[in-house]
Amino acid sequence: MMNIDFASLSSPLQKLDGRTKLIALLGIFILALLFSQPYYVLGLLVLVLVIWWIGRLPWNLIKTILQFLLVIAIIILVVQIFFYPGKTNLVHISAPIKFIGFSGYITLEGLMFGIAMVLRLVVIMIVAPLMVMTTPLPEFMVALVKLKVPYRFAFIMTTALSLLPSIQNHAAIIQQAQLCRGITNFENKNLVTKLRAMAGLLVPLILGTFRDSQTLDVAMSSRAFGAPVKRTFLLESRLSAVDYIILVTTVLLLVAGIYLRIRGYGAL
Amino acid sequence: MTTPKPDLQPQPVDQPTKQRTWKARGRILSMPISVLAIWAALYIAASAIPALPVPGMGGMITLNAIMTAISGMILGPAAALANAAGGIVGMLLYPYGFSAGPLGFLTVTLGGLVAGLLFADRWLLAAILEVLVIGAWFVNPAARQTGMWLVPLPYSAIALIVILVKPIRVWIRKSILTLHKVYMWPAVFLMVCVGHSVEYLTTNDMVNWMYKLTWQYWVPTLPYWIGVDTVIILVSTAVGVGVLVGLRKARLPQFADTLEK
Repeated sequence: MMNIDFASLSSPLQKLDGRTKLIALLGIFILALLFSQPYYVLGLLVLVLVIWWIGRLPWNLIKTILQFLLVIAIIILVVQIFFYPGKTNLVHISAPIKFIGFSGYITLEGLMFGIAMVLRLVVIMIVAPLMVMTTPLPEFMVALVKLKVPYRFAFIMTTALSLLPSIQNHAAIIQQAQLCRGITNFENKNLVTKLRAMAGLLVPLILGTFRDSQTLDVAMSSRAFGAPVKRTFLLESRLSAVDYIILVTTVLLLVAGIYLRIRGYGAL
Repeated sequence: MTTPKPDLQPQPVDQPTKQRTWKARGRILSMPISVLAIWAALYIAASAIPALPVPGMGGMITLNAIMTAISGMILGPAAALANAAGGIVGMLLYPYGFSAGPLGFLTVTLGGLVAGLLFADRWLLAAILEVLVIGAWFVNPAARQTGMWLVPLPYSAIALIVILVKPIRVWIRKSILTLHKVYMWPAVFLMVCVGHSVEYLTTNDMVNWMYKLTWQYWVPTLPYWIGVDTVIILVSTAVGVGVLVGLRKARLPQFADTLEK
């Protein structure tokens, strides 16, 4: 889990409105999908890293994310390098192996496309923490509601997150109880045995927490949840001048990106 | 002195307006919001527990795969919302389980939605969504490569048959609703197949569009993925049966209660 300590993190990104960050995140995600030319995706990655630097986020988090992505990144790179139908031969490997679709050469286009796809993966995966690490959940919820996401959906998300510690505690208690009864399969190296043990954990966990839902239901009813009144928020979010600048920049970048793609730039 | 004329215009009669009760306000698609919030919280917690280390997408499959597979039977179509809420937060906190990036929550949303619609007997909508998910694979130009037509088939074909063939559909719902001691197991297995197949195929669709992987990746790894899916479906079946029976015995809220009413 990303250990988020909002208090100790003094980042300029924290001052931005949640809506701005959400829209910028979506913009970067779309731009990453638009281009398949490594130079363009690399430009986007540099932009994300600059924002990361401005936001004063911990660099070791990128390292952690990259560790998770390492295997899939290698798979993507190898598949594209060897099997992308390129024209400019770079390295001769062997005679063509038709039944696996290998031409016998590593091509420039295959190499470029492989690098572009890996860079795309990295951009997509490291852009989310920019929002998560700098936006406390209540602010994120207010941003969603202001973006016209139904309040009841936002409520489910907020409540779920506030219930998370209690559920994790519940799971630990069940696991301890099962260990007391001699069920030690949680640490078993056999994956199927381990999964079966997990199933034994999930059933009482789900049933136990569903029982708690009735208390929550009563609490919600007693606080008149869903009353037809104008809802007010403890946190008020207002767009500042910086927010507007970032929103306009995001839109301009998106328009420019789409224009470039229509004109045939940014793709192999 | 003139007497006021009686108003001959017909007076508007107060139409009885359909008032939403307090109970209805606290529900979405007939499931209490409190239950959906609890499910979303469980979902986030499950996203933190690695179940299978997978040399491929995202690095590992977490326990939330089981939660998605069984959600439709427990929450009905509202499973989509609970999964989406849990998926969004889970994806932000534990990103390694979501290989499709910021839109990764869509996969678990669709998994819960299709299974939930099927369980609510909205089979036509479920069929349309299932066909769209399968179609999204074949629309991709990469799907015309050698053997790529095989990739979505194994469990998606079972799911499509379950949705489209009326006797199977009816039998599954009946077996689950009556908690039949024997038939419930295969019925839950098939229902789990629907939820899980939609989730994994949506993930494959998104990954294939995003990273342009070719048949040289998909086809040789197909037996491996079938194995992974089978393990997840079997474990989900055991969990699903346990939860459904437990909820009924403890008289806790579940979607089946609303169907019986």
